[in-house]
Amino acid sequence: MSTPSTVTTNETVDPGAPDLSVLERPPQVLNHRGPLWVTDAVCSIVEGKTPLWWYAAITFTGSFAAIGGACILYMICTGVGVWGSNSPCFWAWDITNFIFWVSMAHAGSLISALLFLTRQKWSLSISRAAEAMTVFAIVCAGVYPAIHIGRVWFVWFLFPVPNSYGMWPNFSSPLLWDVFAVTSYLTVSSLFWFAGMVPDLAVLRDRATTKIRKFAYGIASLGWLGTARQWRHFEMMYVVLAGLTSVLVVTVTSIVASDCATSVVPGWHATIFPFYFMVGAVYSGCAAVLTLLLPLRLIYPQLRDLITPSQIDKVCKLLLLMGSCVGYVYVFELFNAWYSANPFERGAFWERFTGSSAWYAITCLSINLTVPQLFWFKAVRRCLPLVFLLAILCNVGMWFERFMIVTSTLTHDFLPSSWKDFHPTLVDILTATGTLGIFFTLFLLFIRFVPIMSMNELKAALPGSQPDHSNHSQPSTGEAH
Amino acid sequence: MSDQTSHIRGRFHGHHLPVAGSKEEPLYAIGARFETPDALVHAVDRLRSEGVSLYECFTPYPVHGLAEAMRLPKSLLAFLVLGGGVSAVLIALSMELIPSCVIYPLVVDGKPLNLDALPQYIPIVVALTIMIGAVTAVVGMIALGGMPRWNNPMFAWDLFAKDASRGFFLAVEARDRKFSTSALTELLHELGAGDITAIHQEAPEGK
Repeated sequence: MSTPSTVTTNETVDPGAPDLSVLERPPQVLNHRGPLWVTDAVCSIVEGKTPLWWYAAITFTGSFAAIGGACILYMICTGVGVWGSNSPCFWAWDITNFIFWVSMAHAGSLISALLFLTRQKWSLSISRAAEAMTVFAIVCAGVYPAIHIGRVWFVWFLFPVPNSYGMWPNFSSPLLWDVFAVTSYLTVSSLFWFAGMVPDLAVLRDRATTKIRKFAYGIASLGWLGTARQWRHFEMMYVVLAGLTSVLVVTVTSIVASDCATSVVPGWHATIFPFYFMVGAVYSGCAAVLTLLLPLRLIYPQLRDLITPSQIDKVCKLLLLMGSCVGYVYVFELFNAWYSANPFERGAFWERFTGSSAWYAITCLSINLTVPQLFWFKAVRRCLPLVFLLAILCNVGMWFERFMIVTSTLTHDFLPSSWKDFHPTLVDILTATGTLGIFFTLFLLFIRFVPIMSMNELKAALPGSQPDHSNHSQPSTGEAH
Repeated sequence: MSDQTSHIRGRFHGHHLPVAGSKEEPLYAIGARFETPDALVHAVDRLRSEGVSLYECFTPYPVHGLAEAMRLPKSLLAFLVLGGGVSAVLIALSMELIPSCVIYPLVVDGKPLNLDALPQYIPIVVALTIMIGAVTAVVGMIALGGMPRWNNPMFAWDLFAKDASRGFFLAVEARDRKFSTSALTELLHELGAGDITAIHQEAPEGK
């Protein structure tokens, strides 16, 4: 949109010479801030007096989390009958929310691991928060698989534990693959998040003024000193973990998608499902990153030089790319249903958009096909309040997508006489809002108690932070400045 | 900077160093602070050429070229992770194949369970390999980095303990064969170091 205008202005200024300024990368930290400023800006969030809004916010989110917890307890004591799930729709909001949360986690891994490996330095300042989002989203996702089995005390049946019944799980079932995929995802993301934070926790330990803080950050930072040896192992670990986590970006949702795809239910039995879930995952995760970071930037003005409009712009572009992939899958799925010439497959999709599930199927499609496309326009990407609203809308759309995939398929199976719609109960709704409460409560604790940005990575990437001895090998950088 | 250095040099003469920790305790190291990573890398080069070997550098972020200047070997961590990953593959395969094929064959829809059906065992192998690899990486980083270790003689030095992110620190241990307080102080001054301090160990509690 705006590219032609830029070109014309350049041409009027200097018609002959090519404009090299467009090739220059925008700085990671604006206003030429130095390393000490970065330390102060990030640490001040943790070290300052707890703001009043924080107490208000955590009370609000905490009460939702508590109500959600009470609902789970009630469900465990009474049985899954307190949910609206019933024949033929045995999976409803439990699996919808599970997929929704575990998917949202993926953008965090993509931003912190895949973009790190590909040396996309623009993501440095948002990677820690994105990784935290990943961990908390997996925690929320993890709530459901354990409780949806009904008799929670048998949850250990999911794991291959030698037992006196001589009984073992079915290793060829995608549901068991899921258990391993999600467990490993939670473990790896938590480790990646925590291990990357150790040097920054040591900074907080050094700066701590009270005994309790010194003790707590001292324990958490494991005695990190920042010696050259420690950094050498740390850097190697970070690359290795980034590599391992990048694989998870693709594998976890693919395995979750196999839950649906390996069944022979029309509407689910499609090879495009792993890709479908993966692009949807990164799409909703990018939207969640924007939803979390934009208010943070508003509340803490010092972060405006760290979370820059150029970064927001890039996340929006990622959102656009993934949103377009999601749109492609929607269209392809419909095409495939028609092209398969399978009456059940055709019937499932016809029913999805004309039957009782039409309202949420159409809501999902109309949001996810249109909203991300607005990010083609630079004016939209640069208008932060609008980006925030659109990001929330994207996640609403994604929730409806998960609901559509799970519920509309199950409620319309092979036998029309058994079709029955799903209606959520109050317990369903409060448990779902409870996971939202858990997510935001954890995120509030995160911004209050640990450094929300990777100070060491940011400082290492600042101009002039590395020894000059490499300068002779890059004369072009000198020219550009 | 150089004016300041020559001024300080006259004052110290390599003897009346500021002392951190307890004077009664043995000397642990001579610490110094550099303003830039360049100065630190340069100092390391010089110390090595002088034959000093027991020294450590402390930086707020990984400084490129420092480990090379210190001649640190490549991190072993990648090999540890490889070992962890390979053992994870073996653990995962035996965890799946022994119950499925030997102890508890669970035939569903007549599907095979032996190695002909290997693909169905792969997702768990991938998940476990990544998980055990990641655990090895983090535990390895902690162990190879000499952690967890919650106290360190360096913490006796207030400037370092209170705000290590405020500079690039170097400490030459007193155990070094070439250690000499006066010569080292002179050398470090020459290299542009500031805040040169004799770091003694802290007095044990109750003393």
